[in-house]
Amino acid sequence: MATAAINVIKKVSRQDQILLVDDNPANLKILYETLDGRGYKLLVADSGEKAVSIVKKSHPDLILLDVMMPGMDGFEVCRVLKQDPETARSSIIFLSALDDTDSKVIGFDAGGVDYISKPFQIKEVIARVETHLKIHRLEQQLEWKNLELQTDKTSILEAMSEGIYGLNRKGQIIFANPAACRMNSCEESELLGQSFTNLHFNHSHIPEGDNEYDLDRITERLQRVLTNGESLKIGHAMFSRLDGTVFPVAFSAASTSSGSFSTHAVVVFHDISEELEQEQELERARQSLDAQRAQLAHVSRLSMMGEMAAGIAHEVNQPLTAIVNYVRLAARISKAEDLDRESMTSTLEKIESQCLRASQVIQHIRDFVKKPLQGKEIVTGEQLAHDIIELAEIEAKEHGIELVTKVAENLPNLNVEEIQVQQVALNLLRNGMEAMEQAGVEGTIDFSVQVLEGSNKVRFDVSDAGPGVKEEFRESLFSPFFTTKKSGMGIGLTLCQSIIHSHGGEIGYQPNELGGSTFYFLLPIAE
Amino acid sequence: MSELNQTVYVVEDDEPVRDSLLLLLKAEGYATKGYGNAAAFLEEDVVNLSGCLILDIRMPGMTGMELHKKLLEMGCAIPVIFVTGHGDVAMAVEAMKLGAVDFVQKPYREEDLLEKVKQALSMDAEQQEALKYKEKLKQRIESLTPRELEIMDMMIEGNANKVIAIELDISQRTVEIHRSRVMQKMGTHSLAQLVQMVLAARS
Repeated sequence: MATAAINVIKKVSRQDQILLVDDNPANLKILYETLDGRGYKLLVADSGEKAVSIVKKSHPDLILLDVMMPGMDGFEVCRVLKQDPETARSSIIFLSALDDTDSKVIGFDAGGVDYISKPFQIKEVIARVETHLKIHRLEQQLEWKNLELQTDKTSILEAMSEGIYGLNRKGQIIFANPAACRMNSCEESELLGQSFTNLHFNHSHIPEGDNEYDLDRITERLQRVLTNGESLKIGHAMFSRLDGTVFPVAFSAASTSSGSFSTHAVVVFHDISEELEQEQELERARQSLDAQRAQLAHVSRLSMMGEMAAGIAHEVNQPLTAIVNYVRLAARISKAEDLDRESMTSTLEKIESQCLRASQVIQHIRDFVKKPLQGKEIVTGEQLAHDIIELAEIEAKEHGIELVTKVAENLPNLNVEEIQVQQVALNLLRNGMEAMEQAGVEGTIDFSVQVLEGSNKVRFDVSDAGPGVKEEFRESLFSPFFTTKKSGMGIGLTLCQSIIHSHGGEIGYQPNELGGSTFYFLLPIAE
Repeated sequence: MSELNQTVYVVEDDEPVRDSLLLLLKAEGYATKGYGNAAAFLEEDVVNLSGCLILDIRMPGMTGMELHKKLLEMGCAIPVIFVTGHGDVAMAVEAMKLGAVDFVQKPYREEDLLEKVKQALSMDAEQQEALKYKEKLKQRIESLTPRELEIMDMMIEGNANKVIAIELDISQRTVEIHRSRVMQKMGTHSLAQLVQMVLAARS
């Protein structure tokens, strides 16, 4: 219909067309002569019937229409023309000798725009014709603009892939675009008049752990959109369809405070099935990556423990040696003539403490090599630092290098997979010690833990007195299969980086004042 | 042995191991003294110690091996028993070549350790004994006159009195008098023993 109207309007030529209708040829002649030569295209008809057929064909802008005619009179012609949208656009000025108010009213009722009484003044006719042609042109332009706008709006709504509803004050759907209908698998007519909330939230499909989207809550929040002009945005909800099936959506609702009278709110929504699918895909990939990292880390820990076997054996041997000595001592005390109970008790206590010491070492090692994916836990910074130092001491003794530790007091909690972080620290410490040993330098290896000032991160530093990393190697330090060691795979630092990144942290290298290497990593403080 | 005033010194960084070992040795009747690291032990007058040293091979800072080398350099001859961990046997063998008495591997049997301590102490006693004897011999040698010393050196080389007399252009009788003086001053009757004594004093 809109297109048809446009076509009609397009037919209007630049030259204004005026149709003169009168059954009296003399009158017609006078009118014709009055208006001729003023740039109008003039058409004439001597009966109502002829007038209607000419209008249908030519769509004049203005009709000067005599009222009193045999057959169809002027009012009748006007009514007929105004009823048919094809002909309704022409402006009609009545001409009549009848000058009573009633007939003027009838004329305006029938759709006329003006009334000229006979006998007419030529100047008046010209003036009124000019005025009404101008009005007619403006009306046509306005209508044209309106149509253009409406067409734009319609095509935009049709083209949008988002579903769009217009809601009235009661929250009922009064408009649905084609995308909305498509997602609902139904016709617009089936949606119109439905309550938005009752239609879409009439189900028990509430995403787990989220009571935000049940019918009552949604109804209440939508009400606030409709009455208070608030807006509503929900990233993940389920819409039920008329047939009871559901689909996942993201939607938003906003009030149309300055909009048309009937629409109070607009709801925009789109089906997020694909996004969810991709998200899940991503999540699966991430999990599989995590599992592989954990697996790799585990294997690497096992091999690290293998390399540390001598140190570990020593660490277990120490308490065992003390235990054997204490036991012999106890045996002597018990054989003495006067049983020295005090010495006996103290010796037995020492034995116990050494047994615990040995079992702690073993426990620590076992924790360190146990299966991957323990999951992250909240640990105190002190605990983490302490556990790292305990293992590092074993290695330091093995290399005959003094380990100097500096752990700040009152470290905050960290949310970490402790074993993996221990592994990273131990890896860096061992690297440092190996570097010092290879270079044959004297010195200490330093390990410090502190909160990085002005941040919500804890910083771990490992500084050695070795020869440092040559400048050209620094960039590739964390690249896989890069190594400067004689027997190294080049996996250690890559794995460290991967572990630290999976904790939302950073890892890096910087040369230190001693010419050695400082490796550091930052971990975010637990919330 | 007790008049020698021997002490068993223990250098071991691990406190419980040190403590238990010292208690055990004390129970066995030894005088003991313990040190947590090599530097602490070096504060002693190491050259004049009497007894033996039980030394942990693996320590932070100066290791047992390094301490041992240093002691040898300083002229400290105290017998050393190394205590080693699992993987340090090669190191211990190296130490033995340098003059350590023995080594035990942790965790050790009490009997083994005590046996080695006993050996080390008697070795130390012998060393001290030998030292004293040597000192005595040196004093005796110093009591000889230059002529007597000259004649003793020629006796040791195996020259007969007659040869010595000709060599020194003195009478055989004079040689005999000097010779009996030498034997008397050195406190022996046999030439063989004299040879031994002189070799010991000059070693």
